[in-house]
Amino acid sequence: MHIVTVVRLVPDLLEEIQVNEQGTDIDREWIGVKLCEFDDHALEEAVLIKEATGATVTALGIAVEGIDRVLQSAVARGADRAVKIECGETNLDSRSFAKLLSETLPQLKPDLVLAGVQTPEDLFGQLVPFLGTLMGRPHASGVTGAQAEGNAVKIQQEYGAGRAARLTLALPAVLGIQSASQPPRYVSGTKLRQAIQGTKIETLSATASAGGSGTVKEMRRPARGQGAEMIEGEAEEVAGKIYDALVGRGLVGGK
Amino acid sequence: MAKPLVLAALMLLAFSFAGYRFFLRLRPMFSAPGIDRLDHIGERLWGLVPNVLLHRRLLNIRYSGILHAMIFSSFIVLFTAIVQAFGSGLFPGFSLAPVGGNSVIALLQDVFAVVIMIGVGMAFYNRYVIKPARFKGSNNKDATVILILVTGVVTSMLLEFSFHIAAGGDPSAPWRPLSSTIARLLEALGFEGESADRAAHVFYWVHVCVILSFLTYIPGSKHLHMFAAIPNIFLRNIGPKGQSRTPDPKAAHIGLSDVRALDWKGMLDLYSCTECGRCQAACPAYAAGLPLSPKILIMNMRDALIDETVTHTATAPAAVPAAGSNLEALVGSVISEQTLWSCTTCRACMEVCPLHIEHVPKIIDMRRHMVEEGHVTPGIQDAMASFQQYGNSFKKPPRMRAKWTSGLDFKIKDARKEEVDILWFVGDYASYDPRVQRITQTVARLLQKAGVDFGILYDAEQNSGNDVRRVGDEGLFQTLSEHNIEALGNCSFKRIMTTDPHSLNALRQEYPAQGAEYEVVHYTQLLLELMREGKIAKAANEKVQGTVTYHDPCYLGRYNNGFEPPRQIMAELGYKLHEMARCRENSFCCGAGGGRIWQDDTGVKERPSENRIREALALGDATIFAVACPKDLVMYTAAVQSLAVEDKIQVKDIAELFA
Ligand code: SF4
Ligand code: SF4
Repeated sequence: MHIVTVVRLVPDLLEEIQVNEQGTDIDREWIGVKLCEFDDHALEEAVLIKEATGATVTALGIAVEGIDRVLQSAVARGADRAVKIECGETNLDSRSFAKLLSETLPQLKPDLVLAGVQTPEDLFGQLVPFLGTLMGRPHASGVTGAQAEGNAVKIQQEYGAGRAARLTLALPAVLGIQSASQPPRYVSGTKLRQAIQGTKIETLSATASAGGSGTVKEMRRPARGQGAEMIEGEAEEVAGKIYDALVGRGLVGGK
Repeated sequence: MAKPLVLAALMLLAFSFAGYRFFLRLRPMFSAPGIDRLDHIGERLWGLVPNVLLHRRLLNIRYSGILHAMIFSSFIVLFTAIVQAFGSGLFPGFSLAPVGGNSVIALLQDVFAVVIMIGVGMAFYNRYVIKPARFKGSNNKDATVILILVTGVVTSMLLEFSFHIAAGGDPSAPWRPLSSTIARLLEALGFEGESADRAAHVFYWVHVCVILSFLTYIPGSKHLHMFAAIPNIFLRNIGPKGQSRTPDPKAAHIGLSDVRALDWKGMLDLYSCTECGRCQAACPAYAAGLPLSPKILIMNMRDALIDETVTHTATAPAAVPAAGSNLEALVGSVISEQTLWSCTTCRACMEVCPLHIEHVPKIIDMRRHMVEEGHVTPGIQDAMASFQQYGNSFKKPPRMRAKWTSGLDFKIKDARKEEVDILWFVGDYASYDPRVQRITQTVARLLQKAGVDFGILYDAEQNSGNDVRRVGDEGLFQTLSEHNIEALGNCSFKRIMTTDPHSLNALRQEYPAQGAEYEVVHYTQLLLELMREGKIAKAANEKVQGTVTYHDPCYLGRYNNGFEPPRQIMAELGYKLHEMARCRENSFCCGAGGGRIWQDDTGVKERPSENRIREALALGDATIFAVACPKDLVMYTAAVQSLAVEDKIQVKDIAELFA
């Protein structure tokens, strides 16, 4: 069994984000990037399946600055191969990315493709459904655990209010992972160093076709709200003021 | 003719049995990994003077130290009696008389028989009446057996001497006041001549037998330290205290997962432990109620090693393997992971251990194993991941590292671009923690005012890796240190100054092994120099109010011997210093070191920092709690708040005392 797990670099939201001069995107010149957290879980799930079944895991990413390091740490975590796609584009939208993957993935002959369910730039989690459709394979998103069994994969999906579903998908399939069955494991600095020194990163070339999700016309920072109101005084007094504020805003019944 | 033969046979029996038991203990050491501990013989020998002859560490607990000194010195003196007993038994006619056996030595033997009995009495009293808490978890039975055997050896010896004198014609009688007195008593009871001689004979054999059983008992007892202590102290670590051992780069596995993989000195450590519990009493993790006692850690490792030795020997008496003595799983079964994560690496245990046993390197080595296996606590994982991504534990981008400087009305030199006198390695807490930034700015202003030519690395600085190494992530430490060494290599400076003792330790003691040597000073030392050169006004002198107590940070004090500068600063500024009982080498860790600061308080009954603040409050008059480490500032400010004693005591950095 061969699992391909997609790794994407996303803006590090801990840093201060600026909008670029044209006002169409965030300023990517200075922003730090890191591995998408959901992709991190997808990678963990892939490695867990590998440990349970002896599958081979390939980590796959677009060749952008910083991807080598992420692919190397994927290997430190347990991936067997690291592959990057050289396509000349660094900032693909989900639809183009799905298209690119659907054209490139057959070379790797995966039985299972995993990706994080969403990224800060793919908030609606479109990559997996696009990819599944383009490849003509069963797909599911919001997956919180996956086990390979014979020619199928059993998955869990969690819904609100404590409901969950268990589904079985025939392989080959595409899954959007929300969380791995276990939190992503810790990789020691030693293993990371070994992987940095010893990992051979394979390259696939492909041509990205033009995007299909439309173009961003304007991007701006959310407008700042009014300053907070600090309530001071004794507990009873504070409670009274909170009550008045709520009534005043029509949030609590009043008389 | 029968006596020498019987004695020789007895000795042969006892020696082979004892020898066999010694061999069992020592055998794993022959196949253990090596460690170089035979360098600097002179320094090693010289160290025996304070540590063995003067009992320096033992006397830290006066009562126990004195009783040990009494028993120890008596053993040396009474060894002459043993030589005499066995010599005369094996070789009829043998006598110590030519070297004073019937005069001075005889007198000494009598005197020290009294000394040792008082010592043993004190030991009994200590164990059964005083019952110090540090004995909790020690093997009381073993200690009692030994005390009884010692009593047996001395009493049988005295009785033999006394009966001998009662039998008449003993030339040493005038030199044996105690034996002679007992002899008179015995005479009064009717023992004279023949009957006394027979009794002397009986006690001779009793004496010999007790000694031989003592000998065979020792290898399985904590009193193995009688043989192991002096070698263990001789073979102590005389290298830099703050330098962790670099694992063999060729080793297939980093870290310690099997007790048999300990180096031979590590094993000797295990055999040397007397279970005295001094380390346990000093341990902040133990005091906090965490599942770590350095004493029990050593005992458990020792038992695991012994169990293994015994069960692997077909002919040995069948021993019941202790629960969890599966050595492949040293970590997790013999020593729990929680135990290992409890340690702050404060070194208090090692500082008080009279045997110079090295607890911390063992703990770090076992942590290394856990880290390589990916077994870390969520807090540690979070912090380490942050180091891997950002080079600090605050999940802050490197660009924010020097943000604290924006609160100054002057610009600090960028040491990457300009030559400086002093390169200030600021450290994570001092740079990023909003509670500490204020102090960092104060230090900067002091330096500026004093006209010091200084600069910082701005975003090129990363965490020094001191605590990362102590967490056990060796690879991450290498990465961080390589980064910093490269950054420092591109700068031109005379000395490095740090405000953070942890960085100080890494730069001063760890980096040299990575091939980078610098002159590194703590800011307290630099400030003292500046003050003495008259470059900083002792502005505080007129304003000084209140009494200060000072907390020695582990990595400044115990690890780097920086006890004096902070004290001298306070004295010169005119503060009255009221020391806590646990100060200097015996300082009590705040609980943050060794990666503890990134872990939660699970299992903590009393935070070490709160314990410490209570200690300061108990002084009665201290209103300022002075610190010289950014982590201390954080820990103690929090402790003062959670104890709600802000009105009684204020935590202040040494730099603030100048204001
Ligand atoms: S180093 Fe400190 S915390 Fe660790 S075992 Fe020793 S005394 Fe306890
Ligand atoms: S390790 Fe040292 S201090 Fe601790 S119990 Fe053993 S001998 Fe005493």
